[in-house]
Amino acid sequence: MSRILESELNVQGLTAYIDDSDEPRGMLHGTLAVTPCARGRLLGIDPRPALALDPSVRVLSAACVPGENQLGASVPDEPLLVEGEWGFKGQGIALVLAATQAMARKAATLVAIDYEELEPVLDAREASSRGSYILPSRTMASGDTSSAFARSAIVVSGRTESGGQEHVYLETQGAIAEPREGGRVFVLSGTQAPSGVQHAVARVLGLSMNAVEIETRRLGGGFGGKEDQAAGWAALAALGALATKRQVKVYLSRREDMAWTGKRHPYSADFRLGLDAEGRILAFEADYYQNSGAACDLSPAILSRTLFHAASAYRVPNLRVTGRMCRTNLIPFTAFRGFGAPQGIFVMECALDAAARAGGWDPIELRRKNLLKEGDVFHFGQPLANCHTGRSVDRLLEKSGWKSLRAEMDSFNASHALEKRGAAILPLAFGVSFTKLVMNQGGALVHVFHDGSVSVSTGAVEMGQQVSRKIQVIAARALGISEARIRVESTKTGTVANTFPTAASTGADINGMAALAACEEIRARLLSFAAKRLGAELGNLRLEGEFVVNGCEPTDLGWNKLVDEAHLERVDLSAHGFYATPGLFYDMKAERGSPFAYHVYGCAAVTATLDVLRGTYRFDTATIVHDSGESLDLSVDLGQTEGAFAQGLGWAALEDLRFDSKGSLLTDTLSTYKLPDIHFMPEMEVEFLADAGNPKAVMRSKAIGEPPFMYGIAGYFAVLDALRSARPDLAPSYDLPMTPEKALAILTGAGAPAKGAQDASALAPPKPECAEGALS
Amino acid sequence: MTKKDSKLRFLANSLPVETEAWRGSPALDFIRRDLALTGTKEGCREGDCGACAVLVGERLASGPGQAPWVRYRAMPSCLLALGDLEEAHLLTIEGLREAAASGITPVMRAMLDENGSQCGFCSPGIVVSLTAFLLEGPPYSIESAIVAVEGNLCRCTGYGAIKRAAARLVAEFSSLPTDFLARVAELEKAAVIPASVGAFARGELLPANVAAAQTQPPGSQTAQPAPGAGPALVIAGGSDFFVRNPKPDRREPLALLARDEDLRGIVEFPGGIEVGAAVAWRDFFSSPLVRSCVSGIGAFEGALASILVRNRATVGGNVANASPVGDLTSILLALAAVARLRGPHGERELPLERLFLGYKKLDLLPGEIIASFLIGRAPGRVFNFEKIAKRANLDIAAVNSAACIELEAQPGRPRIARARISAGGVAAVPLLLEKTSRLLVGREAEASTALAAMRQAMAEVSPIDDARGSAEYRKKILGRLVLAHFIALFPELEAELAREVLA
Repeated sequence: MSRILESELNVQGLTAYIDDSDEPRGMLHGTLAVTPCARGRLLGIDPRPALALDPSVRVLSAACVPGENQLGASVPDEPLLVEGEWGFKGQGIALVLAATQAMARKAATLVAIDYEELEPVLDAREASSRGSYILPSRTMASGDTSSAFARSAIVVSGRTESGGQEHVYLETQGAIAEPREGGRVFVLSGTQAPSGVQHAVARVLGLSMNAVEIETRRLGGGFGGKEDQAAGWAALAALGALATKRQVKVYLSRREDMAWTGKRHPYSADFRLGLDAEGRILAFEADYYQNSGAACDLSPAILSRTLFHAASAYRVPNLRVTGRMCRTNLIPFTAFRGFGAPQGIFVMECALDAAARAGGWDPIELRRKNLLKEGDVFHFGQPLANCHTGRSVDRLLEKSGWKSLRAEMDSFNASHALEKRGAAILPLAFGVSFTKLVMNQGGALVHVFHDGSVSVSTGAVEMGQQVSRKIQVIAARALGISEARIRVESTKTGTVANTFPTAASTGADINGMAALAACEEIRARLLSFAAKRLGAELGNLRLEGEFVVNGCEPTDLGWNKLVDEAHLERVDLSAHGFYATPGLFYDMKAERGSPFAYHVYGCAAVTATLDVLRGTYRFDTATIVHDSGESLDLSVDLGQTEGAFAQGLGWAALEDLRFDSKGSLLTDTLSTYKLPDIHFMPEMEVEFLADAGNPKAVMRSKAIGEPPFMYGIAGYFAVLDALRSARPDLAPSYDLPMTPEKALAILTGAGAPAKGAQDASALAPPKPECAEGALS
Repeated sequence: MTKKDSKLRFLANSLPVETEAWRGSPALDFIRRDLALTGTKEGCREGDCGACAVLVGERLASGPGQAPWVRYRAMPSCLLALGDLEEAHLLTIEGLREAAASGITPVMRAMLDENGSQCGFCSPGIVVSLTAFLLEGPPYSIESAIVAVEGNLCRCTGYGAIKRAAARLVAEFSSLPTDFLARVAELEKAAVIPASVGAFARGELLPANVAAAQTQPPGSQTAQPAPGAGPALVIAGGSDFFVRNPKPDRREPLALLARDEDLRGIVEFPGGIEVGAAVAWRDFFSSPLVRSCVSGIGAFEGALASILVRNRATVGGNVANASPVGDLTSILLALAAVARLRGPHGERELPLERLFLGYKKLDLLPGEIIASFLIGRAPGRVFNFEKIAKRANLDIAAVNSAACIELEAQPGRPRIARARISAGGVAAVPLLLEKTSRLLVGREAEASTALAAMRQAMAEVSPIDDARGSAEYRKKILGRLVLAHFIALFPELEAELAREVLA
C-alpha cells in the first residue's frame, strides 16, 4: 500500500486547515453585515451601534475599498460590498471586524441598515419571460431537427426540473490575511484558484499582483464551491488587514457558509425527442432555463457544459439545444462537480425514459441502440475517438447480471404489494478540458535538493482529490526514484504563477503534465552529466530504481551520488515545467470545434427498493464500470469514483435545496439540508475498464473527479422504476431530486400532473426560439 | 457534597486540566482554543457531522456499596457542555496518537490502508468513533461498526473506503474480551488506545485534587440553584440547547443535569418503571428495564438519531425542548408517561400530554425541572414507532408517530382495550391523537379499524408547511403511518390493507 503523506496527517488530526492556524495576539476577526432581503436598495449604513459594542470593532463599507469594489471576473456584476441596489439575500454590505469572532458576529447584527425592499424574481422561467438574462442565450445545433421530427415515428416531449445542491465541503470557506512590509499582503486562502484570488485581491485593493501572495495549503473539500467563490473571503480579509495593519481572519460558520455562498444551479427545461419505429434517435431539442442567481459568476461556462453534454452518451443526428442564463434574486449559483453536465444529462435521460414508455421499448435496449460509437461526431463537430461507451455498458450488464437481476426484481414485485424494487442504468461520455480554452494551461516548479530529496510545486490545489499523490507518482516515475523522496508542496502564487483553478477534473492532467515536463528537464540534465561522468553514450542512459542504468548495465551512480556530484559540477537541479493542452479549439460563433482533449466513459446500474406504504426508498446496490485509463493510483481513483457517485446520488434522490417565497434559504443548516450518510449509500462495486490507456493525458491516465458524479442520476430513475411497478399507469413529472414527499405524491396520484411524458401527436411542438447571439 | 472551589477539573488526554472557564460553554471551543487541540474539527455545531467527536470517559455510580465503574463514549464536543467533563477523561485525536510510537494507531492504519481519508476534515472524528467502537466492547460486527460511525458525515469518499476500514478492524479485533479492564489492557497493548485510558479506568490517573471522585461520582450540587438566585440556565444533554445556542453567553446560575446521578437512574416501582430525565437515549434503549416494560422498543433506537447524538441527548431534554416533532416525546406520549416535576415547592406529577401548553411552551413553574417519567407496565401491550424524514436515518422527522395498543382476548379476533396513538410534526405541540385513540377502543384489530383510524388521524391534525414537508404531505403521511402501525403490529392485515393503499 502506497503512503499518502497527506492522509497520514489527516487521520492523526495533524493537518492544519484555515481554522487550525495560530491566532497571534492582535488578530482581528471579520464577518459581514449582509443584505436582509433578496432584492433591495441600500439607502444608508449606521455603524455606530456596532462600534459602541467594543473598542476593537471596525466597520468597513464599499467606500473603504481602495481599489475596484468588484469580484465579477467575466461580468462586473458582483460588488464585494453592496452599493446601491442589491440582488440577493446574504450579500455583504459591510465588513465588520472585532477582537473575537463572536464579537464580530454580534457587532455585524448591530450595524443599522437603511434600505428599501424591492420585489424579487426567483424563478428562472419568470426571469426569462421578463427578459432578465446574465448574457444572451446560446444555441448549439446540428442537422435539421424539423424534418427529422417530421420523419419520426414517435415524438415525446416534456418538462424537467432539477434542483440546486449545497457543496457541504466539511471545511467552510475562509481566509487569513497578513499585512507585509512595503504595502504587500499575504493571504492564506481556502481556494481552488489561488491565482484567481490573487487577481481579485489585487483588484480590490488597487495593488499590482506582485504585491499579493496567496497560499493554499489544502482544502477540507472544494467540489467547485471554492473555485470562484473563495475570492470574496480572501478579498475581505485582505481589505481588513490593510485597513487595520493587523492580521485578519474571515472564517464562516456552517450557517453563514450555506446562506452566503453559491451552490449548484437549478435548471428547468423543455425537451422533445423524436425516434424512428425501431427506437433510433432522430432528433432532440431542448431549452434549458438555468437559474443563474443574481450574478454571473461561472454561469456561462457551466451553461456551455450543459449544451456540450445535451446528447449525453447517445448518438443524436439532428439536435438543437438552447440555454438561457436567467438572472434571478437568489444567491449567485456556481461551479459544482459536473459543472452543468448533470443538469443536461438528466434532461436527455428523462427524454429517453419518456420515449421508452411511449414506444414500449425496454429502457436498456433503447439506450444500447443509441449509444455513441467510435467515429461518431458530436453536435459541436468533435469526432469521438477511443470510445469505450459500448464496452462499458456490455461489461456492466454482464457484471451486474442484469438479465437475472431484472427477472428477480419482476418476481419480487409480483409477490410484494407494499415493496417494489427498481433499477436503472446510466451510460457515460464526459468531456475533459476546461471549456474555456485559456484555462487549459498549467505550470510546475521542481527542485531537486542536493541531498536527493525532491520538492514539487504546481498550480494544483489539494482538496482531498489526492492530486498530490498523483503528482508524486508522476515525479517519482519520471526521475526513476522512490516516491518517498518526493514532497508535493502547498500551492503558492509566487512559486507557480498565472495558474487556473484546480477544477474541471483537470488537476492531475494539466499540473501532472507540467510537473512531468520539469522532471524530464532535470532528468535530461542529470543524464547528460552522467554521460560525461561515465563516458557513456547519452542515448543508452536512463534513471531507474534510483540508479543510472547504462543499457542493461547498472552503474555506480545512485541517485544521491548523482545529485551530489551534479551539484558540485554546478548542474541546475531546478526546473520550471509548463503544459498547455494541445489540439483544443472552438469557434463560438459557429458553435463548432474540438473543446475536449478526450472523453471519459463508463456505465452504472443502481437498484432501489421502494416502501409503497410510506413512500420511502433505499438504494440497495450500485455497480459501476468506469474508464480511468491507466490509473496513476487505483485507490485514489476508486475513492473519487465512489465519492462522486455518492454526491450524484445525493443530488438525485436526497439533497433538497429549498428557498422560501421571498428568496431566503430555508435549508441553511445540516439539520435541514441532508446529504448522504453511511446508511443512505448502497453497496458499491466498482470495476475499472481494462485496456483503456488514454493517449491524451499524462502517463495514459484519465481525469476522474467529475465523471462518476453522473452515475448518481441512475438513482433517480431506479426509484422511478420502482414507483412504476406500484403505479404503472402514472406518468411522473420529472422533478429531481426525488424525495419521499414526491414519491408519495406519485404513489397517491396527487401532485404529479402528467407534464412528463406525452404523446406528441396530441401536443403542439414547442417552438425553439432563435439564438439571441452567441457568447463571445 | 460541597465544592472546595469553583474550578473545573478533568483529564485531557494524559494531562490534568484545571480551569475557571464557564461550564456552560461547548467543550469544542475549549478544546480547540484553550487546549489548542485542533485535531478536533468544527463542521456544523449541530451534532450532525461528527467532525468534532471526542471520547469521554466517566466514572459512574453503581448500586449501594459497589465501586463506581468507568465508561467511555464518543460524542460531538459541540453538544457537550464543558462542565459535563467534571472529573472525566477527555480523549481527543491527539490523545489517541499517544497510543502508538509512530502516532498512527491501528484504527488510523485501517483508514490509511483503505484510503478512507480524502480531504481529511472528517477523519479525526471517524477515528474517534471507530476507536469508541472497539473500546465499547463486543459483539463486533460490520453492522455495529457502521452504526458506530453513522454520526460522522464524509463528503468525499461515499463511505465505501470507511466501510472497508471498519471491516478490517472487525476482522482484526473480533476476539477482544468482554471484560472492560481486560479489553482496555489488550487495546493498549495493540496501541489502539493510550495508557491514560487504563490509568483512568483503574483510578490511577485522576484530575488533580479529586480523589473524592473515586468513591463519589458527581452529585446533584449543580442542579439546584441557590434560593433567591435568578432563573437558572438548565442544560441536560445539550443536543438541542447548543444547536439553538452555538456559543451561549455566560449566564449564572447554571444547572447541568447530564451528569446528575439523581436524574439518570432507571428504577422499577410496583406497576412500572421510573426513567430519570437525564438518562441518555443510548441508556434508555439499552436498559433491560425499559426493554422488558415496553416490548420491542429496542428496535427503534437507530431511528432517533446518530449514536453520537444518542450518547448526549437525554429523555427529559427531548421533552423539555418541546419540539413538536421530538421522537422520544412521541414515544413517551403513546406510553402514557407521567412527568414527575421537581421545583422549589416540591414535586408534582403531570400526564405528559398536559405538559405542553403551546409551541415550545411547557407547564413548568419557575425553578421547576422535569425529574423523571413514570411508565406503567401493561401486559398485552404492543408498541410500534414510525418516523418519516427526508433521509431515512439520522434526520429530524417530517412526521413521527408511536402506537401503544392493549389487547384483550375474546372469541375470534382480539379486541382493543386501550390505545394511544401519538403524532409529531402535525401541530404546534407533540400530539396525543385523542380521538383516534378513543375510536380504537372496543374495536377488533382488523383492516376496517385501521382504515377508520387512518381517516380519523388525518382529520384530527392541521399541520403547516416547512422545509421538511408540506402540510398536505404531513397529513397524508400521518394516515399512512397509522396503517403502518397496524401492519407492523398485526401483520395478518397486510394483504388487505395493501389492497386499500393501492386502490
